[in-house]
Amino acid sequence: MKQTSTIAAGGREDALMSAAPRERLTAGGVVGRLLGNTTSAIAVVLLIICVVLTLLSDRFLTPQNIYAILAQSAVVGVAAVGGTFVIITGGIDLSVGAAIGLAGMIGALVIQAGYGAEVGIIVMLAVGMLVGVVNGLSVSMLRLAPFIVTLATMGMAQGLTLESSTGKSVYDLPHAITFFGGDRIFGGLPVSVIVTVIIFIIGQFLLTGTSFGKSVFAVGGNREAARLAGIDVNRVLLIVYLLAGLCAGIAAILTVGRIGAATPTSGAGVELRVIAAIVIGGTSLFGGKGSLWGTLVGVLLIGVINNGLTLLNVDPFLVQFMQSALIFAAVLFDAVNTRRLARNRMRRT
Amino acid sequence: MTKQSALVELTNVSKRYPGVVALDDVTLAFRAGTVTALAGENGAGKSTLIKILSGAVEADSGVVTIGGAPLPRTPGEVIESGISTIYQELTDISEMSVLDNVLLARHSLRWGVLNRKANRRQATAALDRVGLAGLDLGRTVSSLSPAQRQQLEIARCLARNARVLIFDEPTSSLPEGEVEALLQTIKQLRREGLAIIYISHHLEELFAIADDIVVMRDGAVVDQRPVNAWTQPELVRAMLARDLKNAYPWVERSLGPVLLGVKDLVAPGVRSSSLSARASEIVGLVGLDGAGRTELMKAIAGATRPSEGSISLAGAPVRLGSLAHARQLGIVYAPEDRKAEGLILDAPIRDNVVLGLYSLVARLGIVRSRRLGAFARDAVRDYGVKASSIRQVVGGLSGGNQQKVILARVAEGGPRVIMFDDPTRGVDVGAKSSIYEQVIRLAQRGATVLLTSSDTDEVLAMSDRVYVLRAGRIVDEVQRADFNRERILTSASLG
Repeated sequence: MKQTSTIAAGGREDALMSAAPRERLTAGGVVGRLLGNTTSAIAVVLLIICVVLTLLSDRFLTPQNIYAILAQSAVVGVAAVGGTFVIITGGIDLSVGAAIGLAGMIGALVIQAGYGAEVGIIVMLAVGMLVGVVNGLSVSMLRLAPFIVTLATMGMAQGLTLESSTGKSVYDLPHAITFFGGDRIFGGLPVSVIVTVIIFIIGQFLLTGTSFGKSVFAVGGNREAARLAGIDVNRVLLIVYLLAGLCAGIAAILTVGRIGAATPTSGAGVELRVIAAIVIGGTSLFGGKGSLWGTLVGVLLIGVINNGLTLLNVDPFLVQFMQSALIFAAVLFDAVNTRRLARNRMRRT
Repeated sequence: MTKQSALVELTNVSKRYPGVVALDDVTLAFRAGTVTALAGENGAGKSTLIKILSGAVEADSGVVTIGGAPLPRTPGEVIESGISTIYQELTDISEMSVLDNVLLARHSLRWGVLNRKANRRQATAALDRVGLAGLDLGRTVSSLSPAQRQQLEIARCLARNARVLIFDEPTSSLPEGEVEALLQTIKQLRREGLAIIYISHHLEELFAIADDIVVMRDGAVVDQRPVNAWTQPELVRAMLARDLKNAYPWVERSLGPVLLGVKDLVAPGVRSSSLSARASEIVGLVGLDGAGRTELMKAIAGATRPSEGSISLAGAPVRLGSLAHARQLGIVYAPEDRKAEGLILDAPIRDNVVLGLYSLVARLGIVRSRRLGAFARDAVRDYGVKASSIRQVVGGLSGGNQQKVILARVAEGGPRVIMFDDPTRGVDVGAKSSIYEQVIRLAQRGATVLLTSSDTDEVLAMSDRVYVLRAGRIVDEVQRADFNRERILTSASLG
């Protein structure tokens, strides 16, 4: 271990020592890359399901139905953009559905009270971000567990929604606000789909093209290493939850527009579909790994499966079962994959 | 030394790891009613010996027997055969009761379910033997003192009918005042006829408790005498017994003005420490494990929050406990634990090199991917990281190459003070010297370098000056011209 002569002669000639391991890595690397790239794997699954549904139902591959799938996926899609950031940091946001409900309701009540649609929109975004700030401060400064924090804020937001609305829906919202979630342009293309695409593009740029995005991956990959390397971990976490809240606010606008009203139960259960889409898309619940393209494919996969099961007249209870089974499979895959990577590492060092 | 009463015997035992002979033809006997101390530096082979005796690893060749029978192959069977190990860290379950902790292993043994009375009787008997008579069996373990918890661990081993007890650095987690109680317990167990193997870096403990002291070096037993045939200087010399290596790439540099000043710093694990370091100087921090080397570095880097004292850089005060401010001024820390604190193992080399240096490759927060790629490729080339591409995942690299990635990151930020915490841990010899070439190069460029290593010789070989730490304090300061390993090691290990 401490042979003086070797040190003297060694110099920088450690090529010999690293040559063999590198070869081994390449051999295992091919399989690893195939397994590791979940996005393409899931995209193939999505394609197969689409082909099968086209064969099984002649109503599947029609412009109307495709638009319907996309419109139904918009709310989950927008919320999943923020959720992907959160999960890449190793956190989770269970409050997103409730935040959508609360933001939509408070915004609608503000409009009903006589303020304009613009104010209503700003209020919806602000309420979403407020929930995000509470989550973000709790997770960063107070160092609370994201799961528990967002479970609590989920309950709080639901309670506030019911309290403020006294359990009643708010109808007759102005067109300026329902336009985003309900209208169609260019011969049937839902506006909500355009909004979703824009949010995805912005999110993708933020995640892969900026210092902030790099920091998000670093915090999720190894929080302590990121901190010691000079990344302000608390700031990154706060911004990430704030973004998730902002996305919830935008999703609230889409939800209100789609239904044409703010109902006390809007957004309920969205968090489950959001998390499912993200995990199915290959973002690891352990943090540090993930992509928005994967999330996009995950969102579409869930939308297509829901639509297909409806077209095939499958019992709605069974639909719920199958959706949850899909999450189970995705989480299992994630865990097995992560453990496999860790094991490979152990073997190497 | 083999006598009739030898309880555990090793005969010609060897163990190799790739590139290293961890144990080299070791023949040893441990007798009942005897405390045998193992002394040696880090990497001398003591841990490997313990791992073999506890069944954690198997020897490549040679024979190990317990009570004349071959040592079983699995850790569980080894414990049943009568060899138990008390590890450096506590292994109790802190929220469970004393009773449940003492009998933790009992449940997994023969009887399955025992009746309450017999359980209590057994636990009480075991606790009596370690000096914890009268302890309330229902108390949760977390309410006990560290020494009591350690004695409880011993009681657990006794409850498993241990005949051989191995103590691996048992005092490193104890406050100074509680060491004596542990030594008394061990003496009592010796009187009861147990064979005890005792390992500690603290030489005065060895002299206080051992009957025999065995010195290991580079995997082999180099000397073995009854305790009264040793003197402390002789023991230190036997442990080292090597010449200062000229193989490290140390070269003389002209030193600049004082850059880093630390005054009366009190921080977690650091007790009132003062030091200063000049530009281009390499300053070593020497001390045993737990002496506060890492803690002092982290406090200077702002990774922990000092409660008292001051730090200055070129005369200007550094905000205490602020990583951001320290980094802004150019004070950086390369962590000791690469995997836990230094790297994102699942991320590619590229992202690890640029970690926290995004401003170098971004404008207005937008990362220029071409600049990022060029930055990473330059770093890989300049620091000699052996990899097929900058996209290769860091977790798959060898320890030496991982360390070079950290080195590149630390060096590229334009630092003025760099703290390397054990930069060659788990690194092979070839990579070691190329890492130190870079360290020298950084010092030549005018940076102040603080350096630690688990290998004291290495620090001495690379440093212009060292501070010796003991129990969180700086207790000595030695210039390179006056380096004397015996003196340094003695002041590091003797209180």
